[in-house]
Amino acid sequence: MRAISATMRAAIAEAWANRSAFWTQLAAMALNDLVWVVFWVLFFGKVGTVAGWDRTRVLLLLATVTTDAGLVLGLLSNARRIGQLLVDGGLDAALALPVRTLPYLLVRRVDAVNVGDVVFGIGLFFLACHPTPERTALYVLGATAGALVLIGFLVLVGSLSFFTGRSEAGDLGFQAVILLASYPVDIFSGATKALLYTAIPAAFVSAVPARLVDHLTVSDLVTLLAAAVVFVALAATTFAIGLRRYTSNALWSRA
Amino acid sequence: MTVAKSWATVAAVSSARRAGRDPIALAVSVGFFAIVASVIATLWRTAAHVHGGTVAGYTAVQLTWYLYFAEAAVTALNPRQIELTGDDIASGAVAVDMLRPASVVGIRIATEFGRCVPRLTASAAVGSGLALITGGAPTDSLGLLLAVPSLALAVLCNLAAQHAVAGAAFWVRDARSAWFLYQKLIFLLGAMLIPLEALPHWLHRTAELLPFVTMAYAPARLASGHVEPQLLLLQLGWLVVLIAAAVAVFGAGERRLQLVGG
Repeated sequence: MRAISATMRAAIAEAWANRSAFWTQLAAMALNDLVWVVFWVLFFGKVGTVAGWDRTRVLLLLATVTTDAGLVLGLLSNARRIGQLLVDGGLDAALALPVRTLPYLLVRRVDAVNVGDVVFGIGLFFLACHPTPERTALYVLGATAGALVLIGFLVLVGSLSFFTGRSEAGDLGFQAVILLASYPVDIFSGATKALLYTAIPAAFVSAVPARLVDHLTVSDLVTLLAAAVVFVALAATTFAIGLRRYTSNALWSRA
Repeated sequence: MTVAKSWATVAAVSSARRAGRDPIALAVSVGFFAIVASVIATLWRTAAHVHGGTVAGYTAVQLTWYLYFAEAAVTALNPRQIELTGDDIASGAVAVDMLRPASVVGIRIATEFGRCVPRLTASAAVGSGLALITGGAPTDSLGLLLAVPSLALAVLCNLAAQHAVAGAAFWVRDARSAWFLYQKLIFLLGAMLIPLEALPHWLHRTAELLPFVTMAYAPARLASGHVEPQLLLLQLGWLVVLIAAAVAVFGAGERRLQLVGG
């Protein structure tokens, strides 16, 4: 555990080393997120409400998804690169170290761009989402659970590269879950909506945590926590099984 | 045919062939396009259904075709093209292109256009299929027909503008962050995410004066069944301006480029 926390401190120091690049990237992502706020304001300014969603609810959704996705993609940046690391042989350097492979990989790299998401998400919540102590506590809880679901999903789809030998499924899974989590889940129906609660758990990354803040129900809370446990367990198991059959491509190393 | 033109043709054709030889990469990028376009089309279609069948003068069917074609025009390009071109300039790799007896920016645009062609063709085909299934038949097939050349012009305008912006790397060395902002301008002012007619009046008027409308709005508007051939003329006009701007920026940059090393 000490080795993992030391690795994470080193990754943070590495990202922080070039201060001007750090702040530029952080500002660029905040600007990117601001464009989405503009889009949603224009959209709901034109249509009013859609499927029970209005501007206020969508801004809460945006605050939630930028926070939890920013936490994962910023502080545990390799979560989205697991498949690429496996295919490139970038895993090899990690295997040679006396630490648990998956936690080491996850904390090894910090991405300043996505730290900008976290800053933006927190700022948006406090500016536009009516923060009270109770709502803030639920926002933190929801974003944490959403982040666990996202880590689990990204590691799971990335680990498929152990079996397929290619990383495209991981890339597509990453793009799909982030995209789908950025939109109100209720605009979808039928099989697509079911997909967002199961195979591509975008609803648990954004819509369910946001719903908790607005309207806390025991069923939503239990379902979200259960989803977090299930996806983390599935990811850890799949990675462990895949690692047993891993053979290197001997490229040293991008971990 | 001049030497410069034949270089450009060779560059476009060979890069198109190379891109077409990796079907899995093509399938992934088209799959990504299908997901993105389907989500945004579903959002607008739902909005139209909820609000009496139309939003900003577009029916649900028209919005569906609009959004698939707007996305196809934009996602056919590498979104980080500005960053890649800027890196080539900053690293000095662009010097290799300067050895050829042809315009550097011309060859680069031709190469990237060729690379986009398989993706654009596949995205337009898949997008049309999805629009047909989820929205319905296009409201005017002539508009759809005009959207085909408009898609190609949209990609060319986008590439020319990206090279004009990336050319800043001759002076500032690091133009990497610019792609981020540029993409967002296409999203909103290019009317990729939201039709021009749905923007507030002042923003609508502003967007009409900028080149971004040629990169997403023009083919999307045509595909949505609005037979407005003047959009093609608008694209051609902006293409000339944007290519001239890219050539001027690269020309000035090449004259001041100094490289160290062997």
